[in-house]
Amino acid sequence: MSHETQDLDQEIMQTLLTHLARFPTKSDELNAQTDLAADMNIDSVNMMELLMEIEDTFDVSFPLNMMANVNTVQDLANQIKQLVENRP
Amino acid sequence: MSISDRFAELAHIRDSLGAVEADPSRIVMEKILSPTEALIAGKRTILVGTNNYLGLTFEPELLDAACAAMHEQGSGTTGSRMANGSFAGHAALERDFAEFYDVPSAMIFSTGYQTNLGLLMAILRPGDKVVLDSHSHACIYDGCRISGADFLAFRHNDPEDLRKRLRRLGGDAEGALVIAEGLYSMLGDIAPLADLCAVAKEYGAWFMVDEAHSFGVYGERGLGLCEEAGILDQVDFITGTFSKSLASLGGFCVSRHPEMQLLRYGSRPYIFTASSSPANIAAADAALRAIRTRPEIKDKLWANANRLYDGLKGLGYELASTVSPVIAVRVPSKEEGARLWNALLDEGVYVNLVLPPAAPDSAALLRCSLSAAHSFEQIDAILSAFKAASAGSDRAVGASAH
Ligand SMILES: Cc1ncc(COP(=O)(O)O)c(C=O)c1O
Repeated sequence: MSHETQDLDQEIMQTLLTHLARFPTKSDELNAQTDLAADMNIDSVNMMELLMEIEDTFDVSFPLNMMANVNTVQDLANQIKQLVENRP
Repeated sequence: MSISDRFAELAHIRDSLGAVEADPSRIVMEKILSPTEALIAGKRTILVGTNNYLGLTFEPELLDAACAAMHEQGSGTTGSRMANGSFAGHAALERDFAEFYDVPSAMIFSTGYQTNLGLLMAILRPGDKVVLDSHSHACIYDGCRISGADFLAFRHNDPEDLRKRLRRLGGDAEGALVIAEGLYSMLGDIAPLADLCAVAKEYGAWFMVDEAHSFGVYGERGLGLCEEAGILDQVDFITGTFSKSLASLGGFCVSRHPEMQLLRYGSRPYIFTASSSPANIAAADAALRAIRTRPEIKDKLWANANRLYDGLKGLGYELASTVSPVIAVRVPSKEEGARLWNALLDEGVYVNLVLPPAAPDSAALLRCSLSAAHSFEQIDAILSAFKAASAGSDRAVGASAH
């Protein structure tokens, strides 16, 4: 893995954890393996707000239907990375 | 996840509503006394949360037309129009909508929900792009989701945010679909449709507007907010429902594109469900006539909205938007919302209690929807009830609530 993609991985994860910190988690640990639906209390409206913020931060389009494949924070980070790398 | 897990989740939702004593499913209208009054738990109650904007549900023309249609054509159509054929009334109502909007295409569906589902499922495919207002109604989200298209939200009522998101789509913006509503049902705020439409057109996108709450209420002729914004010749699809201003059950879609009619051949929510009953069709058609010929009904609705709006402001309540036939009172907590909602019921006034996530940017909303059939005396009684209800609060609602 190059330094560049490592940096990107870290930047995405850090940004996500910062954005997610405002939502209550069931266990007190928020990390890459946290399950967004099962471990966190984010309703659909807040999830959409979160995605709009992420889109603005990384200047990408994140279709809501892509959330169907997202369970954990890591899954979300992976999707964002793909979008950033394929940015037109 | 198993079905029994899902039952447990639903029971949890019910219990959380029960915990704040705010389960709307316990509201039973034992007797409907008029468009604006019912007996609830034996008590005569003023209804100010029923979307009966023009108050036509007991209008003699509607009742006579519906009864006559039922006697002539029967109580139900017992099937879909593709399988059983259309009744003359379905085709006539579509012609009336096309004529009213002066467009080549109009189709009616069995509900407003199915209208949006029917349009979106038919015109979108996986890979297509949709940019929709973040406050869009569930059926707009559902239609997008089922279609398999890529859909993303723009910030509520923000044309510049829409522009940003279309720009990010690059070449895909051309031919994308942009969706907004007219009057938003929860906060009672209206979309800047002229600006949204201009941005959509600048990028070569299609523009769809759901006028569920604005048809019959806005526009000089009552066509809705697209008429008021002067974009009837640019908007590509307008959808709406019979279940509010039209005092019936069903939905419509009109379009300046003659091809919209082709949805009949590929829209599953049109093809695979029974068509609206003769009574529903006749009532909607009579309501449409009332909108076209009696503009004074709309004027009365607005007079009522202004009176309630000014009165609630005067009582110190925080209102979510400028005046419209939907007036949403912001409440600082779920518990206070439920307490006020129950207190209003005790005072003989029914409003909608809206809790998150349905209450955008708020802990809770007490949502009032006005009707042209409300009298000024009823509006004043509603205001007295709000005054009495807030008297029991710890001054959490509106610093100046007396
Ligand atoms: C914006 C919007 N669209 C569609 C609908 C659905 O209409 P209907 O009740 O006819 O299914 C509603 C009503 O709840 C609505 O608020």
